[in-house]
Amino acid sequence: MHDFVLGQYFPGSSVIHRLDPRAKLILLIAFVAVTFVAHTAGAFILLAAVAALLMLLSGIPLKIYLRGMKPILYIVIFTTIINILLTSGDDLLFEFGFIHIYKEGIINAVLVILRLSLLVLGSGILLTYTTSPISLTDGLETLLSPLSKIHMPVHEFSMMMTIALRFIPTLVEETDKIMNAQKARGADFSSGGLISRAKALLPVVIPLFVSAFKRAEELATAMECRCYRGGEGRGRLHVLRYSGMDVVFFTGGALLIGAVIVINIFLPVYPF
Amino acid sequence: MAKIRLENVTYTYSVGTPFEKRAVDGVSLEFEEGLLTGIMGHTGSGKSTLINMLNGLIKPDSGRVLLGGEDIWADKKKMRSVRFRVGLVMQYPEYQLFDETVRADIAFGPRNMGLDGDEIARRVSEAAKFAGVEEEWLDKSPFDLSGGQKRRVAVAGVMAMSPEVLVLDEPAAGLDPAGRESILSGIREYCRATGAAVIIVSHSMEDMAVFCDRVAVLADGKLCMYGTREEVFARRSELYMLGLGVPMITDIAHELLKLGVPIGEEIFTVGGVSDSLRRIISERRGNKGKGAD
Ligand SMILES: Nc1ncnc2c1ncn2[C@@H]1O[C@H](COP(=O)(O)OP(=O)(O)O)[C@@H](O)[C@H]1O
Ligand SMILES: [Mg+2]
Repeated sequence: MHDFVLGQYFPGSSVIHRLDPRAKLILLIAFVAVTFVAHTAGAFILLAAVAALLMLLSGIPLKIYLRGMKPILYIVIFTTIINILLTSGDDLLFEFGFIHIYKEGIINAVLVILRLSLLVLGSGILLTYTTSPISLTDGLETLLSPLSKIHMPVHEFSMMMTIALRFIPTLVEETDKIMNAQKARGADFSSGGLISRAKALLPVVIPLFVSAFKRAEELATAMECRCYRGGEGRGRLHVLRYSGMDVVFFTGGALLIGAVIVINIFLPVYPF
Repeated sequence: MAKIRLENVTYTYSVGTPFEKRAVDGVSLEFEEGLLTGIMGHTGSGKSTLINMLNGLIKPDSGRVLLGGEDIWADKKKMRSVRFRVGLVMQYPEYQLFDETVRADIAFGPRNMGLDGDEIARRVSEAAKFAGVEEEWLDKSPFDLSGGQKRRVAVAGVMAMSPEVLVLDEPAAGLDPAGRESILSGIREYCRATGAAVIIVSHSMEDMAVFCDRVAVLADGKLCMYGTREEVFARRSELYMLGLGVPMITDIAHELLKLGVPIGEEIFTVGGVSDSLRRIISERRGNKGKGAD
């Protein structure tokens, strides 16, 4: 249950941890874009090498990254099968009854696997594991702040997100606790049909909602007591500033994009 | 014979992550029927983890939990009946109330046991008496009660299953003195009346001294003391080293004993000490009276 929670932040003080959250967001967008641009073997090797280097720099055990990849395993298997079976092309490799497997299908499948893995790795390295949820929302708010000029509620949005993130672990913990309390009174969550299972959850859902509403009300009161009035005229405790290291990483990101484009054009070796 | 026994149980949280934490480390303990055992220890010493093993909410990594001589993990299908026999009241149990009325909420456990209507009604009113749930609350919504009243309802909800082993995690935490006193006496009454083995986790030395027949002390997941309250509270300096201490009244009684005031053995409760002091005072007054004659 706990593993599934968004907040998998892995405290640390590596170079990656210390990058500005805005820089990490921008770099992640660039990284995602570049994995979709890449379509040759050389480009993927380069991207994998960069991902490996970043993983090393982050100081987070490889085990954690591998565990983070587990949830996409099913998606990968599913899309691979779909791709292999349903893509048609000119280069027929295998035929059996209604099954036709083309070279293009296999290439597509490999591309999807590579892109998904890089995507998950990249977002793990740059965001989930190395950026605390609070500094992430800080970064988002600052990046999006120009939108408030056109009356988008950027501050309110990010405050909501901060609060939601802050309370996810609390709610998960509370769900666990209430479930245990009801199990101790003989509640049975794992047998019976769909309807009886849903009904069995009532003793968990009701207390959970009651306490979530109570918590929300208390939080709102506490915020008002400290004169919170929304974003207008509000300063910040941590003012985000780009550092030299951010510039280094931006440069690296730009070079990576350039390199991938060049490799795509001049080294057109496809996977397989 | 011991009603429920922990044999060398160990439990570690978050194995294989940097947050790995051995919460319970080789603890063996047994709880006898009709006795109230207190479990003390600092926050984080593993008390909650330990008692969650008693009804199978946590499975020990190693070691066994024996209920009436049988390993509760021997047959997983029987776990539900184990939970009816070992009633567990979690910390701050007021959050678990959900039903429309207090009566229905207390009846949740007995209903899950599949008892018939009359028996459920009998159990509800019996449990309500032990836990101090008043008659007129029974038809209210549990959400309209105060915190202390909800706590009683939650305790009654577990007592209504008539468990042979009743385990309560800090049942008196956050209550006012009168509330503490009354909920703990209700628990003791349950223990005496039903002959159940009762286990209470508490921070309060004072409550332990007044209510418990046996005291177990945990530190950093290990059992470091077990015995009668006399035996345990006699180890004052060790208790202070664990950051626990002894009841304030026991401390003062020790000072008095050092000064040669013969206050006797009952030095664990305010009642006991003040009785001996009254006796001493009246003796001395009597002596003075005679001297003046
Ligand atoms: N769900 C959990 N995940 C990880 N560690 C936990 C969890 N629950 C408790 N712990 C850790 O186990 C230790 C014992 O906790 P607990 O049994 O709750 O102690 P107590 O009830 O004596 O305060 C503590 O150090 C605590 O941080
Ligand atoms: Mg606890």
